[in-house]
Amino acid sequence: MSSITVTNLQKTFRAKRKAAGLGGSLRALVRPQYSTVEAVRGLSFEMEAGELLGFIGPNGAGKSTTIKMLTGILHPSAGEASVLGFTPWKDRQKLAYQIGTVFGQRQQLWVHLPAIDTFMLFGKIYELDDKDVKRRIGFLSEAFEIQDLLETPVRKLSLGQRMRCEVAASLLHRPKLLLLDEPSIGLDVVAKQHIRDAIRRMNQEEGVGVLLTSHDAGDLEAMCKRVIIVNHGQIVYEDKVSNLKRKYLASKMVEVRYAEQVSRDFHLDGVEVLKVGHYGVKLRFDTHQTPVQKVLAHLTEAGDVVDITISDPPLEEVIARIYQEANPT
Amino acid sequence: MKKYWAIFSTQIVNSLAYPGDFLGRSASIVIFMLIFAGLWRATFAAAGTESINGLTFPNMLWYLLMCEVIELGRPRVNRVISEQVKSGEVAYLLSKPYNFLIYHFFHGLGDGGVRAALNLLVGIPAVWLLVGPPPTLIGWGMAVTLAFGAWVLHFCMMSLIGLLAFLVEETNSFELIYQKAVFILGGMLLPLDMFPGWLQPAAKSLPFAYMMYAPARLFVKPNLTMFWQFLSMQWIWIIVLVFLLGLAYRSSVRSLAVNGG
Repeated sequence: MSSITVTNLQKTFRAKRKAAGLGGSLRALVRPQYSTVEAVRGLSFEMEAGELLGFIGPNGAGKSTTIKMLTGILHPSAGEASVLGFTPWKDRQKLAYQIGTVFGQRQQLWVHLPAIDTFMLFGKIYELDDKDVKRRIGFLSEAFEIQDLLETPVRKLSLGQRMRCEVAASLLHRPKLLLLDEPSIGLDVVAKQHIRDAIRRMNQEEGVGVLLTSHDAGDLEAMCKRVIIVNHGQIVYEDKVSNLKRKYLASKMVEVRYAEQVSRDFHLDGVEVLKVGHYGVKLRFDTHQTPVQKVLAHLTEAGDVVDITISDPPLEEVIARIYQEANPT
Repeated sequence: MKKYWAIFSTQIVNSLAYPGDFLGRSASIVIFMLIFAGLWRATFAAAGTESINGLTFPNMLWYLLMCEVIELGRPRVNRVISEQVKSGEVAYLLSKPYNFLIYHFFHGLGDGGVRAALNLLVGIPAVWLLVGPPPTLIGWGMAVTLAFGAWVLHFCMMSLIGLLAFLVEETNSFELIYQKAVFILGGMLLPLDMFPGWLQPAAKSLPFAYMMYAPARLFVKPNLTMFWQFLSMQWIWIIVLVFLLGLAYRSSVRSLAVNGG
């Protein structure tokens, strides 16, 4: 059964334009100029109930605009959408009882109050029984490991701690669908992992469907089964994450810093040396050809490692490859 | 209704998050009243009379205290909405199962209620020391009833200005114009009784008179006939403005563009 059905969804904004400096400001006052921004251009897709769907793309791809239309906050310029049987922009309040939302760069928790106060308030807003709210807070605080954070004013929490509380708050009313807009933005590796683990657990235990936007391919690999990649407001790729990983996310980049000067010979079959210095090296390799373990063993043999970073290729690179394959000329 | 009560009570707790700052700001009402006392003492002395258009010097100070309490406790909903539109946090508010405007009503009532209560707590002893005891209990009853209506009128006007933020984002300039209109036509600068005869009916036909003048005037000079007149006019304006607010909300929510990613 589909929880989201989107057909030819479009959103166009009118943005004011102004040339630089005082002259530009004065001209804009007398004769304002506008440009049209096509944020979403004819999107169509479906999401099954309980599915973990990644909706990814670079900045400005139209991901957040799509999420905001699916929550009913924005009205589309054209097209149709059904979320859990509701038309979001017509039935926004009814839909709100069924969905949870997290906007990574915003906050729903009241900053001057401890998170527990916002949780209790949300309990009233979603018309939950007080006893049930307390039970639910107990469960979520264990799942998100926030037991010790609930009574601290939100403004005193770190970004990672706050985001765990934000996601937990959005699950208080047992939504059928969770719409996560960049939940891991600005977080360090450990904080990202905490959130990814907790969301996966909620999906497995409660069957909550998750539509996740991100420009971090790591979120996708860690959480999602299926992926839709958007760029310039259009779908450029739609497939299982396992296929995407096989085709486009097999390469990894590794950057190592050593305690002392090391030999410059880092050559290994299937490994491309991107940058090399006396105290460090940056490599790219294909995990299908050369296992991660083999590369790491080779690098640690070279000297005492003080820092190491393994990263995915940037999403922009993946999208460029998808485009190249679609348009070989 | 429980959810809106919860928003109201949570905002009261939120307002008291920094008690020192709050008390400090409430102390400013003492400075205002001292300035008003100096100005009006000089005015009454220059006029060489005990009463001007039926208001004595103590009446004048208690009148001005009521005006200040209403002014300092009025909702700042336009600034809140404007900030939420600029930061994009409006996205969260619109994705929750409550009415956006009723949410702001109870949020503002919690905030304004605490400010008004603290300003009264600090202002009453100050004015009492300056000019003697406050007006009668009937005056208090009429003032509190009309002050609530005044707050609702302010809320409607500030929300109409706030909804402009959905289109233009920044609404401070509109608030400034509105504030000046309330100062003059609402009777804060001068009670409407001191306006020229031809201007008084015009001023009393506008909503501003029921945002300051009506509660403050009946606070110091209670009059049952005037109370019912003021109360009816106040609620006629509230009904008109609530209707306009509903229309404005429906139209502006369609044109909202949420900032940021």
